[in-house]
Amino acid sequence: MDRGFEILDISGDVGLRIRAADLEELFEYGAIGLYSLITPLNGVKAVETAEIEVEGEGLEGLFVGWLNELIFRFDTYGFIGREVEVESVSDRMVAARVGGEEFDPERHERGLLLKAATYHDLKIEKDDGGWTAVVIFDI
Amino acid sequence: MRLLRSNLSREEVLPRMRDLVEVLYAEIPSGVGSKGKLRLTRQDEERLLRKGARWAVEEGYGDAEDLERTESGGAIEGADPSLISDRAFERGRAQQGTLGSGNHFLEIQYVAEIYDEAAAAAMGLFPGQMTVMIHTGSRGFGHQVCTDYIEVMERAARRYGISLPDKELACAPINSPEAQDYLAAMKAAANYAWANRQCIMHWTREALMKVLRTSPKELGLTLVYDVAHNIAKIEEHAVNGRKQRLVVHRKGATRAFPPGHPELPGFYRDLGQPVLIPGDMGRASFVLVGTEQAMEETFGSTCHGAGRVMSRHQAIKKAKGRAIWREMEDAGILVRSAGKRTLAEEMSEAYKDISNVVDVVHRAGISKKVAKLRPMGVVKG
Repeated sequence: MDRGFEILDISGDVGLRIRAADLEELFEYGAIGLYSLITPLNGVKAVETAEIEVEGEGLEGLFVGWLNELIFRFDTYGFIGREVEVESVSDRMVAARVGGEEFDPERHERGLLLKAATYHDLKIEKDDGGWTAVVIFDI
Repeated sequence: MRLLRSNLSREEVLPRMRDLVEVLYAEIPSGVGSKGKLRLTRQDEERLLRKGARWAVEEGYGDAEDLERTESGGAIEGADPSLISDRAFERGRAQQGTLGSGNHFLEIQYVAEIYDEAAAAAMGLFPGQMTVMIHTGSRGFGHQVCTDYIEVMERAARRYGISLPDKELACAPINSPEAQDYLAAMKAAANYAWANRQCIMHWTREALMKVLRTSPKELGLTLVYDVAHNIAKIEEHAVNGRKQRLVVHRKGATRAFPPGHPELPGFYRDLGQPVLIPGDMGRASFVLVGTEQAMEETFGSTCHGAGRVMSRHQAIKKAKGRAIWREMEDAGILVRSAGKRTLAEEMSEAYKDISNVVDVVHRAGISKKVAKLRPMGVVKG
């Protein structure tokens, strides 16, 4: 698989496999993958920018925490992202800028309602070619 | 899970079904990115979390009688809003009184078959009768409580030296402060869900009265029962002949208490608890009743639905080029859905045949069949 994400078929739920050159990109593709499960991204415009910082424990906690932050912002404020720029990923924090807009059921096609990103069968691995992550969402 | 009975027959409702489904779809917010009609303050939400369906009734959404027919009277004691994060409060604020998406639904149904006449009569059910089933829960509020507490439990599991095969199984001993806090938060989420179904029931009543031009008395839309489908409860059960207090986790399961159980309201004490098992949107749902055998063998529990045979993605592939709504309409079921993808994911073929599943629990004796309900109109998220 090239850099990017693919959707994993899991009975009852849905997952993403993400492949990236570095950690920042891994978090970016994770976010784009997540948003594309909610609605086709070609219908989303980047009209506002959200500055997002998420704290977490360890890489796994940080990755799941990051995705859950994006789910929270969608489910609470209707914010759907399209352009994601992760500025830094440290041991305890991820800092990013996400360009997107407020979800409008009149204009945006409705996809999946994600409840949460989970730790179930979570994998984050580094090899010579870069980083791979597998994450499953609760639907 | 909530089932409503009525005084009306299928024939009386059929000519108005199209309007009915449209009005229900318009009046009850559903689907990805939808917002509820209620505008709650933080104080409202705190009261709602403590009082559950009681809050809804006090606000004018339904009658006190509805509460008697709801598990735990529509509110578990011990819910503590101070143990709920600001984020959960925020996420829950606009979602009270919304159906959600996925397998959640509101269905207009009719009683297609009765297996136990006495039990059906005790629940107010008769052949050919219109019923309404509401399947929704604690919405984003409950998901946020879960997300918050998985982080707490993950740290707790390490603290108590519990090694886990999967981090998602994060847990703590029930008497630990972490677990006690979680229980009080989970109760708040259960109460949120009972309030949610109570509000939706109220708007359903209003919609039916408006479309069918009936009085509340003619319509007679009252609650058969409301029971949680995913919850942990502290109950007394016999273990090796000795009574013990246990935490019973019902996930993918629902409660099925037998006749005589002290937690049942008076009018169901001799009968046993009504058990509500939804099927897929094209086939059927079932009403059963709890049994003593369930107490002995499955901690007073039975199955809670059909279960999938196809993943969501497989179902979407299978539905490509087909109009699922049209297929359902040809089969006599009107459907309205916020997302067309939801209809593909939720189509009948994606699920096991609920009749077979229910026959298994019936023959196993952990609940007994009372009535089969068939859908006439379906609202999906």
